[in-house]
Amino acid sequence: MGEIMTDELRVAVDRRGTTGAVLYTKGYINNVGGEEIANRAYELMDDGVRSLLLNLRETKIVNSIGISILIEIIEKMIDKGGKIGFCSLTPVIHKTFQIMGLANYAEIFVDEDNARPTMEL
Amino acid sequence: MTATAERQMELTLPMIPDIEIAAARAAGNLARELGMASESIDEMAHAMIEACINAREHSGSADRRIYVRITGTSLSEGNSRIDIWITDHGKGFNIGEARSRRQKLGAVHKRGWGLQIIEAHMDEVGITTSADGTTIHMVKLGKKND
Repeated sequence: MGEIMTDELRVAVDRRGTTGAVLYTKGYINNVGGEEIANRAYELMDDGVRSLLLNLRETKIVNSIGISILIEIIEKMIDKGGKIGFCSLTPVIHKTFQIMGLANYAEIFVDEDNARPTMEL
Repeated sequence: MTATAERQMELTLPMIPDIEIAAARAAGNLARELGMASESIDEMAHAMIEACINAREHSGSADRRIYVRITGTSLSEGNSRIDIWITDHGKGFNIGEARSRRQKLGAVHKRGWGLQIIEAHMDEVGITTSADGTTIHMVKLGKKND
């Protein structure tokens, strides 16, 4: 059976000072994509980042497994006294985040410009 | 409402990673043909993805197949209806137990959200399940895309 052609998740990071960063995702956030985000986020946390914004402008699909991994990332950041925000979500991804309660623990912004003051980036 | 022009598609999918995307794309193409609005299609796609993942992860089916049937119906005034049946030949599950599992942040188990997401994104959801397998029937009603 051949491979299924999907958009494998790509993650890019833009550091903002010593304690801030924006993580950009491109593609499907499934279990594999979620783990990739987690790996990058934990590296950033270990390097002192305490304000992390996830910009999902180029992600159109997430599944519940991917979101459960995002929840684990949020929990770890909260444990470290930091904060995580999300921006540029599609309406359906925003709704799914609300269903899973993620929106209670991480702020959701319309876009990166709106996120910057609150996230101190 | 007067229903006309039914379209139908059937797929037999292997239970391999990311196969849910293929199913969602197929349904999305059919819905777009009927003029369904993008956001409705997006909600339907996310629900289909969760249903396929549930079948793949929890069915325990020996044949490792997901059977998908999709019908599209044009309704009056430019509205539309998509019916989706996702079937596996697995071991079935306890619907009450699955529905009662409402996870919270900080809980030990962070999985098991699929059914809740499906029910939030679709207009109607019905499940039949037994030791011979499970079928989830989902309905999305769409208004014409502007």
